[in-house]
Amino acid sequence: MAFEPRIVGFLCNWCSYTGADLAGTSRIKYPPNVRVIRTMCSARIRPSFVLKALAEGADGVLICGCHPGDCHYSEGNYKTLRRQVLLKRLVAGYGIEPERVRLEWVSASEGQRFAEVVADMTERIRRLGPSRVEMLPSTRRAG
Amino acid sequence: MSRPPLPRIGVFVCNCGTNIARTVDCEEIACAAMEWPGVVVARAYKYMCSDPGQEMIAEEVREKRLDRVVVAACSPRMHEPTFRRALASSGLNPYLLEMANIREQCSWVHDDPRAATDKALALARAAVARVVRHEPLEKRFVPMNPATLVLGGGIAGMTAALQLADAGQPVTIVERADRLGGNVARIDLTAPHLDSARELLLGRLARVSMHPMISVLLRAELEQLEGYQGNFTADVAVEGASRRLEIGSVVVCTGYKEFDAARVEGLGYGRLPDVITSFELELMLKRGRIEMADGRTPRTVALVHCVGSRSEEYHGYCSRVCCMTALKYGHEVKSALPGAAVVDLYIDMHAFGKGCEDFYRKTAEIKTLFLMYGKNAPPVIRPAGPKDDCNLLITLDEKLSGEEIEVPADLVVLMVGMEPREDAGRVAQLVNISRDKDGWFIESHPKLDPVATTTDGIYIAGACQSPKDIPDSVAQARAAAARILAKVAKGKIEVDAIFAEVDAARCSGCRICGTMCPYGAIEYDEEQKSSRVVEASCKACGCCAAACPSLAVRARHFTDEQIFAQIEGVL
Repeated sequence: MAFEPRIVGFLCNWCSYTGADLAGTSRIKYPPNVRVIRTMCSARIRPSFVLKALAEGADGVLICGCHPGDCHYSEGNYKTLRRQVLLKRLVAGYGIEPERVRLEWVSASEGQRFAEVVADMTERIRRLGPSRVEMLPSTRRAG
Repeated sequence: MSRPPLPRIGVFVCNCGTNIARTVDCEEIACAAMEWPGVVVARAYKYMCSDPGQEMIAEEVREKRLDRVVVAACSPRMHEPTFRRALASSGLNPYLLEMANIREQCSWVHDDPRAATDKALALARAAVARVVRHEPLEKRFVPMNPATLVLGGGIAGMTAALQLADAGQPVTIVERADRLGGNVARIDLTAPHLDSARELLLGRLARVSMHPMISVLLRAELEQLEGYQGNFTADVAVEGASRRLEIGSVVVCTGYKEFDAARVEGLGYGRLPDVITSFELELMLKRGRIEMADGRTPRTVALVHCVGSRSEEYHGYCSRVCCMTALKYGHEVKSALPGAAVVDLYIDMHAFGKGCEDFYRKTAEIKTLFLMYGKNAPPVIRPAGPKDDCNLLITLDEKLSGEEIEVPADLVVLMVGMEPREDAGRVAQLVNISRDKDGWFIESHPKLDPVATTTDGIYIAGACQSPKDIPDSVAQARAAAARILAKVAKGKIEVDAIFAEVDAARCSGCRICGTMCPYGAIEYDEEQKSSRVVEASCKACGCCAAACPSLAVRARHFTDEQIFAQIEGVL
C-alpha cells in the first residue's frame, strides 16, 4: 500500500483555523492527511509540541498562523516565526529532515490557500517517505 | 486540581443531516468510542445542535453521571457556545466540553468515506484524550469604571460624549485642536437637505461645554493608555502638562483628513490658482462669496469627483460623501450665481443615502451638465489661452459620448476624498487596535459589531473607521455610547475564564513572560520575586506559556498536558 503521511497541524484560532473552516464551507477538497489541533495563537505552540508530535510518529508538522501584521494578538506570529528558525535546526539535530516542520501564513479568508498548503505538504512528505524518529524518545504516558 | 480517578465521558457524534454522515460513518465512531478509556456512553444522532439533540446530551449527563462531554460535529467556532450551554443546563461546568471538528475540517473537504472516517476517528479520539484533562473553569468579574475617554471632539466625539453624559456618566473629551467641531465645523451646508452645519454644531457645542458630566481638554493628546476594559489609566498631555485619568472605556473618534489634491498632477492644484478643493469652496460659501483668485465672478464652475478616491494610484475606496457634496455645490453655486453654468465631472454617481437620489434628480433639473470620465483616467486641467473666453480648459475622455472633449471653466472645485490622519498609526498603537489595508481602524465585525474593536473596552466611531457622512457618524457614536452604557449598567465586567496563570512556586522570576506579553498583562512582584498575570488584561494567546523556561505559566484550557494528550490522540 502507498505511504500515507500522518501530519499534525497546529492552527491559530483567529486566522488559520477559520481559514480551514472556510475551506470546508466552500467545499474545497484536499488530502485527509493533516489532523488539526487548535491553539488561540500560533505563539502558543511550544516547540516541545512539535517534537512531541514527531516523537509520536508524525511524518510532518504544519504550523499555520495569521499573516505578518495581521495577528489577532498583534505580534504573536513574529514570535512563531523566530521560534521556527530554531526549531528547524533542533529537529535537524535529531536527524529529522527540517522540511517535515513547516510554517505557513493562512488568513481567515484563505480557505483555498489552506487546501493548497495541505495538498502541497502532503505531497512533499509523501516523497520524503516515513519519518525515522528513533532519536526522539517517546513521551507517551503509560496507560 | 482534584480530578476524579475515573472520568465518565459521553461522546456525541452528529450526523448533521447528511452533511457529516454522507462521508463519515458516524455509527462506527460511536461504536469505536465505547472502547476508549473513560467513555461510558457514545451515541450518534441526526442533529446534535437541535433541541432534542441538546436534551439528549443533558439527559445522558444526568443519567449516566457524566463528568466530561465530547461532541464530534461542526467547527467549535460554530456551536461550541451551544454545547457549552447544554452542559451548563445539565449542571456540568461548560469547560468540561471538547468538540471534534468532523464537518468543516473533515466531511466537507474529503470525498473518500474510509479516509474521512479514519480522520474523524482520530479527531474524536484526540478530543476524548484532551477532555480527560479539562478542568472546570469559572468566569470572573472585575469592576467597571463608568468614566469614558472620548478621543476627538468632532461630531462623532461630541455625540458619544453627550449620550454618555446624559445618562449620568462622566466623560472626558480629548481634542488635539484648540476648539471642538472637527471637520463639520469647516463646512457650510449639508447634503441633501441643505441644512446648516453650523446649526447642527452650535447646539451640541453649547451643551458639551455646559454639561456637568463632560470635561473638555483642548490642545490635548493621549500619551499612554494602560490597563484593561473597565479599568484603564490614561496619561493625557494638555498644553505641555501631563494629566492622569482613570477610565473604563475609550471611544476613538479621531476622524479623517482630506486627500492632498496636489498629488494628482494633471489637475494642476497648487499651480493653477483657480483650481481649489471642496474645503476651500466651503470657506468661500461661509464667507458668502464665490470668486476667482483675481476677485472676478466665475461664469462656469466645474466640479471634479473622486479626487484621490476610487483609483488604483491613490485610494481604492469610495469616500462616500463627495458625490452628494458636489451636487450640493451645484445648488449653492446656482443660488448664489444664477447666471453661472455648473459642470459636474464624475466617474459613477453614488447617491445611496436617504433622500440622495431625489437630490440627484433635483440637481439635474437645475441644468447641471453631467460628464462622465473613466476610473484611473482623471481629467487634465490647463490654463486657457488668450483667445479662449474662459480661465481654464479641462480635457477628458467622456464616456457617455465616447469622445475626448474639452470643457471651459473659470473655477474648478476638486472633490477631495477622505484619508486616515497621519497620526492614525500612533493612535492605533496607543489604544492597541488594528488598521485595515487603507489605514482605517478595524471594527470587531464588519456587519454585526461595527463599533467595538478587537481590544475590549476600546470603541470606534465616525470617519476614523472608514469614510462616513454625518448621519452614519452620529449613529455609530450613539451605538458606541450604548455599548458602554450597557456595561456600566451591569457594574462589572465578565472576564473569560480562559487566561494564563503563573505558578509562583515554579517561577524563577526571569520575566521572559512579561517581555513576551503584547498586553503588558504580566506584572513582576519584587517581594515574591515572581511574575503574576493580571487576569482581566490577559487575552489568552498563550505565548507566555510557550516561552516560560520553567513551565511555570499555564495557559488555562490550552495547557501543555491537554495539548500533549491531543497530539497523542490524533496520531
